[in-house]
Amino acid sequence: MSILSLLKKEGHWSKRNVLVLVFLLVALPTFFATTSVMFQEVVPREVPVGVVPADERVSEEDLRIVEGGVAVFSDPQVIDSEEKALEALNRERVYGIVTVPANITESGVDAQFGLTVNGAIVPFQQPSEVIVGLMQFQLDDILAADISAERTVIGQENTLPEYLFPSFLMVVVIFFAFTYVPYNLRREKDVMDRLKVETSLESVVAAKLIFYTAVMVAPIFIFHVTASYYGYRIDSFAPGAVAVLLLTFLLLSVLSMTIMVLMRFSATGQFVNVVLMLGMIALSALTFPVGFFSAIRTTIARSLPTHYSMIMTRSVMLKDLQLTGFTDWLGAFLGLIVLALAVLKLAIIYHRRTV
Amino acid sequence: MTGKFTSRQDETGDQGRIETTDLTKEYGRITAVDDVSISIGCGEYHCLLGPNGSGKSTLLRLLLELTRPTSGSVSVPPVAIGCGFQQPNFYPGLTVRENIDVFASLVGADDWDWNQTVVDELRLNRALDRKAADLSGGYGRKLDLALALIKEPDFLFLDEPLGAMDDVSKTRFLEFLGEYPGTIVVATHQVTAFAPYLDRVTVMHRGSVVFDDLIEEIDLTGYESLQQYYVDAVLAREGVDPETPPPTEAPAEQRADSK
Repeated sequence: MSILSLLKKEGHWSKRNVLVLVFLLVALPTFFATTSVMFQEVVPREVPVGVVPADERVSEEDLRIVEGGVAVFSDPQVIDSEEKALEALNRERVYGIVTVPANITESGVDAQFGLTVNGAIVPFQQPSEVIVGLMQFQLDDILAADISAERTVIGQENTLPEYLFPSFLMVVVIFFAFTYVPYNLRREKDVMDRLKVETSLESVVAAKLIFYTAVMVAPIFIFHVTASYYGYRIDSFAPGAVAVLLLTFLLLSVLSMTIMVLMRFSATGQFVNVVLMLGMIALSALTFPVGFFSAIRTTIARSLPTHYSMIMTRSVMLKDLQLTGFTDWLGAFLGLIVLALAVLKLAIIYHRRTV
Repeated sequence: MTGKFTSRQDETGDQGRIETTDLTKEYGRITAVDDVSISIGCGEYHCLLGPNGSGKSTLLRLLLELTRPTSGSVSVPPVAIGCGFQQPNFYPGLTVRENIDVFASLVGADDWDWNQTVVDELRLNRALDRKAADLSGGYGRKLDLALALIKEPDFLFLDEPLGAMDDVSKTRFLEFLGEYPGTIVVATHQVTAFAPYLDRVTVMHRGSVVFDDLIEEIDLTGYESLQQYYVDAVLAREGVDPETPPPTEAPAEQRADSK
């Protein structure tokens, strides 16, 4: 009863603020979606790659030698099986897999290295072509065998606009969660006493979370329509991707609301949310793969939930992967949402006890 | 208006009393409510009277559980409560009609005849489709009161309900309240308008209760009105002789000379 009534109120509110909502939910997504084509020429450099044995004949020492050899042009990580290496590739812990053949230290033997990359990770397409050449040159120089190298692309090769598409969508989700949601909650200050008497702050925030999480389908759909218009070869409205985006929005909205409650619905709370938003967008490695940055930025990115939701969204939209491949991440994400809701509840209790 | 309600006591039945015991509320070093113990009976029309900053509004907020006491306790029976706030509380972005619609739905007030009665009595009809943010102070007050009344509360808490309201609306609203069957607690610094309807008055000053009496027990002999009686009581508490005329502003030429 209480939630339904407040949902009804959100409907009225949205009707009265339709211009702001159209800007945030339609104009902004359209802007980001269409401007994605401007990034066609941007190509980042330096990437982590996995070094994996082609078969059991490859020794630890062979792997170490190759690791040292490819360290000249990448950040290699030895992985003991191809299966684990592919998982690391899907989860963007590495952006290429260097497959090490046997007998590389024996002279006169032909040894063909492989470099496997995912076609969806567009920023690594050109570097990977260069790396194959460098591998052949560098490894042939230090190894006794006759070295050749071949590049293999998994999945379809996307364009940079296609690659950036889910990134921009994620930016819209983060933007809405840290700007409009806190703004809207702050406006409740005008009627907060009455709401506290007639219902509860918990019901107010619950209604907002339900309403605006549902509303977020609109920009996702706008992106989908834009993707179709441009003929992008991406699954832009895949249920898995939509689910991850909505869960991300839910998590971030809970976070922004918690800040507003703790800051007593003040303008300072809104400002803190904007700062958090900018940090989240800048540090989550949404546009360029995480391994392309410094170690400290990589560590920060890998500690942010938005980094993982970005990879999951990209994987479902671009790599044709299923969310079932990310059940551990998804479980952790849901756990984080529950934790965030618990913190929000505590913030409300604190607010109630300190007014 | 006659015949709209039956008697206050008959309608409300025994729903328990509002009680505060040694109630104190401090904001830092300021004591807004200081060791207040009062009892408000079911069906009573009770006035919390006092000058600005006397703690009336804080006491109301304590009764509504909108703020927690520093010490002491509050007991309010678990019945439907309606409240009109000192700062009118409504959604400024919605129209008057939408505000009423939302809060009626929120509190389960589905008696639309009653809601229309409230709108009529508060003379809100002309403003129904106006955005609440654009309302005048008087209309804003009326909307706030309408939201307090739509669920036909058993207990009605009103903080300065007549503020910014025009005289015609005031008269009609006071008559309406006079016939309202629930318990009414009004916080105000202007008791004259309410005086004919009141059962009990609690006068507050600097957070404390100066006196708390049934209207019929107050001896107004020698006073112009209940308002005068209360003002004198407060002045006496401050140590000011009520007979001493208040300091008046010096004439303009005198002020100029002093410069």
